[in-house]
Amino acid sequence: MVGLAYDLLANPQGAVRSTFEKAVASSGLDFDPASLDGEDWGALDLFRHFLSDQTHLSQVPILNGETVKWVRPNTLVRFRGMIQDMLGNEFYVGAFKDGDVWRTNKFMDVSHFPMPMASTSSPHMRVWERRLLYCVPVPGRNSWTEPSSELVVNRCVDCSSHQREKRRRMDDEPVDHMDMLVSDEGFQGSPSTKKMKEDGQPSMSSQTTEPINEGICSHMSMVPSIDSDSLPCLVKIYDSPESDLKLNDVFEFIGVLTFDSEVSMDKDDQDELSNGFSEDVLVHLPPNKVPRLHCLIHRKLTVPDFLHSSPTMEPKPHVVKEIREALLRHLTAVLGDDSVAAHFMLLHLLSRVHTRVENIAVGKLSLNLTGFSKESVSLFGHRLSLAVKDLLPVTHCIPLTVEYLNSASLAPIKDYETNRLITGVLQLAEGSHLIVDETQLKAGTLNSVGVDNTRLLKNLMELQKVEYDFKYYKMEMAADVQLLIISEGKSNILPADIVIPFQPTSVDSSEVRAAEALEAWRWYLATVKSLPHSIESEMQKVVENDLVEARQSDRNIGSQDFNRWLTMGRLMSVSFGENCLSLEHWQMVKELERLRRERLK
Amino acid sequence: MNTKDLDFKADKVLAKEFLSNFADANGEAKYMNILQEVANRKFRAIQVDLEDLFNYKDFDEEFLRRVTENTRRYIGIFADAIDGLLPEPTEAFTDDDHDILMTQRSDEGTENMDGSDPHQKMPPEIKRYFEVYIRASSKGRPFTIREVKASYIGQLVKISGIVTRCSDVKPLMQVAVYTCEDCGFEIYQEVTARIFMPLFECPSKRCYTNRAKGNLILQLRASKFLKFQEAKIQELAEHVPKGHIPRTMTVHFRGELTRKVVPGDVVELSGIFLPIPYTGFKAMRAGLVADTYLEAMSVTHFKKKYEEYELRGDEEEKIARLAEDGDIYNKLSRSLAPEIFGHEDIKKALLLLLVGAPHRKLKDGMKIRGDLHICLMGDPGVAKSQLLKHIINVAPRGVYTTGKGSSGVGLTAAVQKDPVTNEMVLEGGALVLADMGICAIDEFDKMDESDRTAIHEVMEQQTVSIAKAGITTSLNARTAVLAAANPAWGRYDLRRTPAENINLPPALLSRFDLLWLILDRADMDSDLEMARHIVYVHQNKESPALGFTPLDPSVLRAYISAARRVSPCVPRELEEYIASAYSSIRQEEAKSSSPHSYTTVRTLLSILRISAALARLRFADTVAQSDVDEALRLMQMSKFSLYSDERQKSGLDAISDIYSILRDEAARNNKMDVSYAHALNWISRKGYSEAQLKECLEEYAALNVWQIHPHTFDIRFIDA
Repeated sequence: MVGLAYDLLANPQGAVRSTFEKAVASSGLDFDPASLDGEDWGALDLFRHFLSDQTHLSQVPILNGETVKWVRPNTLVRFRGMIQDMLGNEFYVGAFKDGDVWRTNKFMDVSHFPMPMASTSSPHMRVWERRLLYCVPVPGRNSWTEPSSELVVNRCVDCSSHQREKRRRMDDEPVDHMDMLVSDEGFQGSPSTKKMKEDGQPSMSSQTTEPINEGICSHMSMVPSIDSDSLPCLVKIYDSPESDLKLNDVFEFIGVLTFDSEVSMDKDDQDELSNGFSEDVLVHLPPNKVPRLHCLIHRKLTVPDFLHSSPTMEPKPHVVKEIREALLRHLTAVLGDDSVAAHFMLLHLLSRVHTRVENIAVGKLSLNLTGFSKESVSLFGHRLSLAVKDLLPVTHCIPLTVEYLNSASLAPIKDYETNRLITGVLQLAEGSHLIVDETQLKAGTLNSVGVDNTRLLKNLMELQKVEYDFKYYKMEMAADVQLLIISEGKSNILPADIVIPFQPTSVDSSEVRAAEALEAWRWYLATVKSLPHSIESEMQKVVENDLVEARQSDRNIGSQDFNRWLTMGRLMSVSFGENCLSLEHWQMVKELERLRRERLK
Repeated sequence: MNTKDLDFKADKVLAKEFLSNFADANGEAKYMNILQEVANRKFRAIQVDLEDLFNYKDFDEEFLRRVTENTRRYIGIFADAIDGLLPEPTEAFTDDDHDILMTQRSDEGTENMDGSDPHQKMPPEIKRYFEVYIRASSKGRPFTIREVKASYIGQLVKISGIVTRCSDVKPLMQVAVYTCEDCGFEIYQEVTARIFMPLFECPSKRCYTNRAKGNLILQLRASKFLKFQEAKIQELAEHVPKGHIPRTMTVHFRGELTRKVVPGDVVELSGIFLPIPYTGFKAMRAGLVADTYLEAMSVTHFKKKYEEYELRGDEEEKIARLAEDGDIYNKLSRSLAPEIFGHEDIKKALLLLLVGAPHRKLKDGMKIRGDLHICLMGDPGVAKSQLLKHIINVAPRGVYTTGKGSSGVGLTAAVQKDPVTNEMVLEGGALVLADMGICAIDEFDKMDESDRTAIHEVMEQQTVSIAKAGITTSLNARTAVLAAANPAWGRYDLRRTPAENINLPPALLSRFDLLWLILDRADMDSDLEMARHIVYVHQNKESPALGFTPLDPSVLRAYISAARRVSPCVPRELEEYIASAYSSIRQEEAKSSSPHSYTTVRTLLSILRISAALARLRFADTVAQSDVDEALRLMQMSKFSLYSDERQKSGLDAISDIYSILRDEAARNNKMDVSYAHALNWISRKGYSEAQLKECLEEYAALNVWQIHPHTFDIRFIDA
């Protein structure tokens, strides 16, 4: 990468501009940006190439509540989050003619060159579009998934002034805007910040690279972050097909951070317009609260991306088996030596929705542990939720009470006043784990909200779908959530796939979990989950016959039970790291079912 | 720029020619007629249809393209053209303030006009009484909001969506008129944006040369205002790709188009997609972000009744092709809920429910309903609700509700106090809302007793009568009822009689034309089928192929709406046939020790209705005998779904039963020959299949009971 005029990390927009100029120059005088139509002209390749290098990638700071205080605007940052809302398209002048030269505004909020005042229909201006996504940190993400690098980055002295400035802005939010304008301008123009801009760069890069390496080594960093869970980000997406980014997907966005303080000014202007609908994004998402990120590259994150160990480990059968045994032992200990429950628990933790066929979410396996009392819940319930938290990256817990059901907003609702999707408890990222504690539930009356909420929970359980309320119609959004219900008796509100009475025999769990073991288990759960699976035709015959036989002997067995057994068969063989259902594993499933049925009697 | 101006001048001539020369299909000068009406102050809106431009004899493709791509400019051009074309009013109308002002102005105009100052020249808008709209062609699919990209800015587009918010209607200044304190001239200022900078100094020549800086006073009475309304539309749920959030768009309605929509309306709009011109402070960053809106040009409401369903160009062709296909009855019925396995006869019945029969109004004012009512009864988990929901999806107007309706209004209607005005208002329930459509009622058995009483009226008289809180009225509820119910004890109990299991009063049951019982029977084959299906799903992550391609719901809807336009009648020669069929059912019932059904005159009407619906499917004007036979067969099948066990108990297997049917029929007619077609008719009416008939024919031919014609399969009994 010799001869790059711009530092891609510190001045990505400069790089974008230079590539644009190159593209213009290469196509000669009769350059027509209409032919470009907002498509990429090679800038993305530059960044993609640059960031494919791990060391470069690790230099890009991760944007969160902590880092936002010192990361400078117009530099390259990373943001990891879930797409919570989609705000639609934004039209902007992508290219315009400044005298005789074409300029571009792609990947920026404010033009770097004076723009001619002309109507948007003039041939000297090209209107392009970008999509706005409102992203939030993944709800319910456990602290161990935090990339540890941020913790070690010391805020440099230079930055502290910046930070103070920002603090002030954040704290004195309702300041008169003129006042703010002045302070911002003063800040922009002050010699100290100028200095920072020039000097800060080299010191920054040297400071960030080393600590990151350290961070990777000390992978168990359980320091809880205070602020980082609440920083949303408005991501602007260019040049990528719409189908790439879906609601509730978890992505890592790499792009240009802009803190465009000027833009927040026209709040009053807006009112003056007597617009009737004050839906302008700027009013509801003031840029000083929600940073903007002009996305250059985005990447969908899966569970392995949250792990710290190297992803090169191969799922070798004997390794997998060993880890499986250890994990099973651990789960058995957590569950008070109830090994049957532990087996089901393991299968449950491995479940995910593979596909949807005719309203059936194939692959889900919700679990209902019954037989809890007030006392045992405080012990085992707590222990269980801790264990799940340690194993899975994204977990939630809902204590189900009548009051909760009557008041909570589980489903996201569209607010037409602000044109925003108000999130609900059940707007969850793919692969989240949800514990519903039903032991607190007492007799009571449900109001209409409560009835609606129970219906939502039931739908999530049975169909893995959540209805989003758009007031004029409801839209079903597919979800993939592992549901674990803890209850005294069989839960009637939430009919789980598997109901098993929980029978602990010992109370103490003396086992100390080693950090390495935890890492291995997380890796195991993440990797094994995504293994492919098939049923050989011979095995298929055996399975079919078993199913028919079961139904002939008991008419109450229906398609649901068939689905459950096949899912269990899949999870069982996958838990051994195998891709094919073997007779042995099928027998194990049947045996587990037999044990469960015995308990139910 | 000069060449452009010339272009526009040339186009103005083109527009003028088009307006004065265009003749519609009847040879009428469509636009000149409209202009006459406008001149007579009958209405304001002049809609220029792009379709007419397309059908114009001197069709100019380039001109059409220019109009679609720069619509706003061309509205002005058309308005200019109309200014020149507007005829003298042929009817007298009283002058209003505006006219008086105008005459005054034209009196003064000649002396004051020095022509050089744009502010002093009277803008043409102020004189205009009319508004020009350019409407996109109704052909072609409307865009979804998502599909409107930056490249469409400035163009005429057609969009479908649901209205989510509406502002109040406000006046919007179109031309501001000032008078100068010094020189007394009227000064005009055209306003094109939402906000404008008022003039303060008189720009007239006299004031300018005198350096008077004449003070301007805004004359509200003289200025011209337009009605203005802003609305938000949102994408329809079915247009949103999976995993995405519906998009919204701002729409501006002006003039005559205001107050056309309310939140919740599903509409199709044509309009110009425009950026909002920024002014003042906003302009400082205007270069970067532009808000956009749709300047509405026409509004059409959606979710029409079948009667108003307009066929699109390609649909007509498709329907014609389908109608030629003989197997349309099977094809359409299979395409209903294709993912639900089996239940062919039920789907056929549901198809007939969608089609319905024509309503009849007798001379004495009595009405005979044409809507078919169907009740599905069955064990839990046999996809009843799915069938119901699918039918509602196909019907253009359908309401899905459960017996325990969710709101206080329930199924019929309620009188409620309006929270704002404190007046008593009538609020229609599901059945009233489904007027001229289909009302699907799930959990029919769990319905409130009060609603169930009201349903008696709805199902036969098709009205809902209300006498509450001083309001006595009767609302139309011309709806086809599709009910789903569970048996009395949750599951069908084979040890009890069907009547006990059904648990609905006979008065209600007799109102259903067809009643189906869907049982979850213990059956090795179906179990294996299910096991295979599920294993396949888990193995291949998709459902097994259907073996046919189901028709699109939209095609289905179009076909049904076309079929509903036909109103077939029963020919005289069939009357006898139907009467004898009816009497034989009655006799059979009388003979049987435990009658399963209550065959009444309603049954006869049902037969007629079903046959008429079948004739409609064939687009036939008269009911054929085959329709009646199929109707009888469906009724028989629906009975058998209830009583098939007893048939088996009676000791006759299918084959011997078929034999006895044929023998009896032959004996009744005193003939030895039975044609194959007749035989098939008789047995299918009793609910047997053709395969069973063939089996029977072979078996008994081997016993030398009868002879079978080798080619035609006609039967000749051998007299013993």
